[in-house]
Amino acid sequence: MSYALIVSEVRRGQFDERNLDSIGFANLAGKAAYLLVPQGDYAIDKGSVDLIIDTGLTESAFLNPLVMVDAITKVIDTAGMPDLIVFTHSSSGVELATYTAGRKALPIITDVSGYDKNEAIFYKSYYSDKVFGQFRKAKEGPVIVTVRSGSFREFVSDRGKAADTKALEGISGSVEGREFIEYVEEAKTGVDITKAEFLLSLGRGIGNKDEIPVYEELAGILKATISGSRPVIDKQWLPKERQVGTSGKTVKPKVYLAMGISGAFQHIAGMKDSDCIIAVNKDPDAPIFQYAHYGIIGDANKVRDKLKDILKG
Amino acid sequence: MNIVVFAKRVAATQEEELRITGDGKAVDLSKIPFKMNDWDNYAVEEAVKIVEAKGGTVTAITIGNQDSDEILRRAIAMGAKDGFLMETVEVSDDPAVRVEAISNLLNKENIPFDAVFTGVQAEDDQFAATGGILAGKLGIPYASMVIGIDAVEEGHFIVRRELEGGLQERIKVKIPCVLSIQSGINEPRYVSIMGIRKASKVERKTFKFNDYRAGQEAMIELVRWSYPEKKGGAKILTGEMDGICRELLGILKEKGVYQ
Ligand SMILES: Cc1cc2nc3c(=O)[nH]c(=O)nc-3n(C[C@H](O)[C@H](O)[C@H](O)COP(=O)(O)OP(=O)(O)OC[C@H]3O[C@@H](n4cnc5c(N)ncnc54)[C@H](O)[C@@H]3O)c2cc1C
Repeated sequence: MSYALIVSEVRRGQFDERNLDSIGFANLAGKAAYLLVPQGDYAIDKGSVDLIIDTGLTESAFLNPLVMVDAITKVIDTAGMPDLIVFTHSSSGVELATYTAGRKALPIITDVSGYDKNEAIFYKSYYSDKVFGQFRKAKEGPVIVTVRSGSFREFVSDRGKAADTKALEGISGSVEGREFIEYVEEAKTGVDITKAEFLLSLGRGIGNKDEIPVYEELAGILKATISGSRPVIDKQWLPKERQVGTSGKTVKPKVYLAMGISGAFQHIAGMKDSDCIIAVNKDPDAPIFQYAHYGIIGDANKVRDKLKDILKG
Repeated sequence: MNIVVFAKRVAATQEEELRITGDGKAVDLSKIPFKMNDWDNYAVEEAVKIVEAKGGTVTAITIGNQDSDEILRRAIAMGAKDGFLMETVEVSDDPAVRVEAISNLLNKENIPFDAVFTGVQAEDDQFAATGGILAGKLGIPYASMVIGIDAVEEGHFIVRRELEGGLQERIKVKIPCVLSIQSGINEPRYVSIMGIRKASKVERKTFKFNDYRAGQEAMIELVRWSYPEKKGGAKILTGEMDGICRELLGILKEKGVYQ
């Protein structure tokens, strides 16, 4: 039977939720789901896949593309070539997927967020979701994909029985080219934006660093906490602890007021569960308006100044 | 230490309306401004910083039409020694085709490198694939999402790569290798008009992309473009600015975050 090889993600002893999108994607594509896993005691829903392949590798070795390409090769040698090799579109997923594509000379499509089974079409975001490219394989054979978190988990289904586990023998967790040293945790500092009920979140669209104090003034009056998108942190307009998104914090305030933020999925993933999202953006097509409850199409700095005028009354 | 950096000219679409034309066959970029891919700006800066400290050279390479020369001028103004254009009218949608050509260029032209840097992803296609495919193809180590180069030592780098939610992994990567550089790793230097003008005087080489493609056909094809599915979307507040802002304050009150 044709199968999808799913390379799972386990982080600090947890089977990551993102794996559900990989499993769901394999189901949607009509392939048996073979799940490649590292060793560990994490909980895993064995009824949701068809086979579990235990590499015996540590979690950190599982992050190493040089190691994982050997594990994948071994699976192919024993189970035959899969139709799909599925990774999550995360930091490690993309790294492993692209390296595997290069080593195996296989086609790759990253950040897949939709799939049309009838036409075998993969939807891939371009320009931060302003448009999507519809891809298909140019010739028969396997394809590597990385799937976007949240896109396919609804297609996970229960097999009614627990999958068997097969051990993959003889994979070395250490290679000369790349060695894991340690995990590094971001330093815990003063503000915790995940605790705030009201976030005033700033994006690249506010223009420049000099605008920050003026937003801080508004935040002071509104008793809001300031947060930001990644570029605002990268440019050091705000400190790292204020970053919302996949590589920052996940927040769920009562109100998330986003000003000058476009709504890239890495940002959306960090704030989409807020009770009320209000977006201010001068571009009516900005993807953030798809996720917001309320929107204002206009210049963020002008909205800010007007709010201040009214509040100072 | 010789570092090759791949950089790309991309459409800056963040504030622009994007129109799909020709029955889904194309995206109209004719009125959109272009610039250097943000992530590549960080990659060039990181390479230049290392070379300034350790000696060696930075070579910037870009794929595109003649307009992409602006990327090379910018990279040279930032401190790259050479700039190479792989000229092609139409850039393939399949990153594997691009990587085939750049790896052949590195080999055939004997471009020496200890490391290849790329940005984590391009803002246009967001493929995030060039570095990984290239490293796999060349059979050399790879690390992506590099957010800190802690040490450049004999024969290897010590780097930190970003995982998610503030978690990083510190690793040792053997040279030669490919690193994909994450935004925020440094503060890219300011490039003045004067600097660009000076860089224009440095000779840039052009290579024909198709001479290096080695018959590599695309393994995937982009058959059509579409707009994102509408998800319901926001209730847009309309009217005068004053009225809109008062309505906004009303919502904040209703949600209980402002009295
Ligand atoms: C591995 C990885 C991890 C990432 N992690 C994160 C993350 O954790 N968090 C995150 O946010 N991003 C993250 N990103 C980056 C993400 O892809 C986007 O680049 C980023 O979110 C864009 O930020 P932005 O919306 O502020 O800027 P842009 O996308 O540049 O958007 C600016 C917006 O402002 C609008 N605008 C411009 N001028 C005005 C004005 N005067 N008034 C109102 N609106 C205006 C524009 O129309 C545009 O919509 C990550 C990317 C990668 C590859």
